[in-house]
Amino acid sequence: MKPHQLILIVEDDEAISRLLQLSFKQLGHKTLLAKDRQNALREIQTRNPDIILLDLGLPDGDGKELIKTVRALLSIPIIVVSARSDEEEIIAALDAGADDYVTKPFSTNELLARVRSTQRRFMMHHSSDSLITCNDITIDVENFSALKGDQPLKLTPTEFNLLKYFVLHRNQVLTHGKILKEVWGIAYEYEMQYLRTYVNALRKKIETNTTSPLYIQTELGIGYRFICTTPN
Amino acid sequence: MQLFYMYRHYIVTFFLFLLITGISLVFRQELEMTNIILIHLLPVIVIALRGEWIATFITTTASIALLALYAPPTLSFIVHEMIYIWSFIIFYIVGYTITFQARKIHANSVKEILYNTLSHDLKTPLSSIMGNATFVVETHPLDPALRYQALAQIIESSRQMNRLINSLLDSARLKNPQTPLKNGWCDMEDLLTVALREFRRDVLHERIDYYVSSELPLFYGDSGLLMRLFVNLIDNALKYSDEEKPIKISITTTPNAFHISFSNECPPLEPTELANLFEKFYRAGNTADISGSGFGLSICRDITRAHHGTIRAYNDDHGIRIEVTLPILKRPASLKMDTL
Repeated sequence: MKPHQLILIVEDDEAISRLLQLSFKQLGHKTLLAKDRQNALREIQTRNPDIILLDLGLPDGDGKELIKTVRALLSIPIIVVSARSDEEEIIAALDAGADDYVTKPFSTNELLARVRSTQRRFMMHHSSDSLITCNDITIDVENFSALKGDQPLKLTPTEFNLLKYFVLHRNQVLTHGKILKEVWGIAYEYEMQYLRTYVNALRKKIETNTTSPLYIQTELGIGYRFICTTPN
Repeated sequence: MQLFYMYRHYIVTFFLFLLITGISLVFRQELEMTNIILIHLLPVIVIALRGEWIATFITTTASIALLALYAPPTLSFIVHEMIYIWSFIIFYIVGYTITFQARKIHANSVKEILYNTLSHDLKTPLSSIMGNATFVVETHPLDPALRYQALAQIIESSRQMNRLINSLLDSARLKNPQTPLKNGWCDMEDLLTVALREFRRDVLHERIDYYVSSELPLFYGDSGLLMRLFVNLIDNALKYSDEEKPIKISITTTPNAFHISFSNECPPLEPTELANLFEKFYRAGNTADISGSGFGLSICRDITRAHHGTIRAYNDDHGIRIEVTLPILKRPASLKMDTL
């Protein structure tokens, strides 16, 4: 994360917003605070922040509407902060265009990691290279082949497409519905059984230990996240 | 023994009936019908105080049937005089009024235990958080190891509090029949992984020793609740076993059910303690100093029941084994799988 960035915190709870301000100031960033949607919109239009942290439970209405408005205007990372058990809300916010989420209570470390990875993604140039790597996995988009270390992975076409989709959207939270639509097609949006079965099969092929997977992380009730620690 | 204890009220009532019948037969002339009717009210009151509608109904009916035997014509259930019919109606009214009141009192005492347990269980981690935070702010410990220790304790206590609050939310959800389960296809191994992430790695150390059958089918259930089931079972195993001792987890299937078992090493429990383990607010006798509540395991039972399964505790070779059996009620459809 570059220093001296402007971070807009949209949060009505003072204890949380103070903690967030403190954490970002410590890292040398500037923060703006908005307690409701109205103020948030004004700050976005006048101050042009680099990142938005948005609490979904705002007093003057729906955070999702704000996400849609911002998405129509600008391309800046939006990270949603939400209470647990709001899975539907989180999915709706992600579908509306939010880039990532954290649930309360969260550790500041976790939040900062999300902010960094989201920003990195925004600056990433999509290479036209047909070879994509992630840690010890390399996939060749043109030849439909994949390697783990120097061992070729025996993948079915669907497994390959799933892995390719994951690697291309590395470190990003991907909702079940989105993965199903993108990999299987629109008609499969609610066919969870396919996704679970194929993720399971893929894990057996790429993970060393399926009970503590390093690549495909489950985001309970939301979707999956494919973890790559190496830069693209 | 345990069975006797559970049904002690009914056993008492049975002997009461025997006694009353004896007295009524021997002193029939001296007591007269009025007093015989009055002593037949006794078992009704004893059972009605339990606050169970069906038990009250059965006892009242039995008592009335016995009375009908004495009422002329004797030794027949036929009653000629209207006045006895009124007595019988009053029997039911008395029985049901007492049952109603007993239920009210019972509900209040449950609430009281709930508040006490909750305030205790929430205050324990909270006082650890406050204590450690105050220690760091006010005494400025110079030793970084000491400071780290205090801060790590704050994090662990907040996690503990978070787990308890989540359990309470689940419990409220399970109690409300208006909120059905969010059923979907679940990968049990995956849920176990997510549950293990709720704990700090240095708390788990290398203690978790798991076996997950390699060809585990998908299970149709509420993923959020099943994950909480695992969290509570891990939490329980960690709390009630000696540090450094392994915790064994296994997930296997038979054609009709999933079998999940958690074992931890600790001294054996009495059979009554084993049976009561899943009752709310029960804490095994020898564990007065252990933080936490009987809440976790009672939620495990609620979650298991919501999935039509069973949960049992056993004394194992070296400790306690908790076994959850979840019946397979819906099988995954065969998918159009592609091949290599």
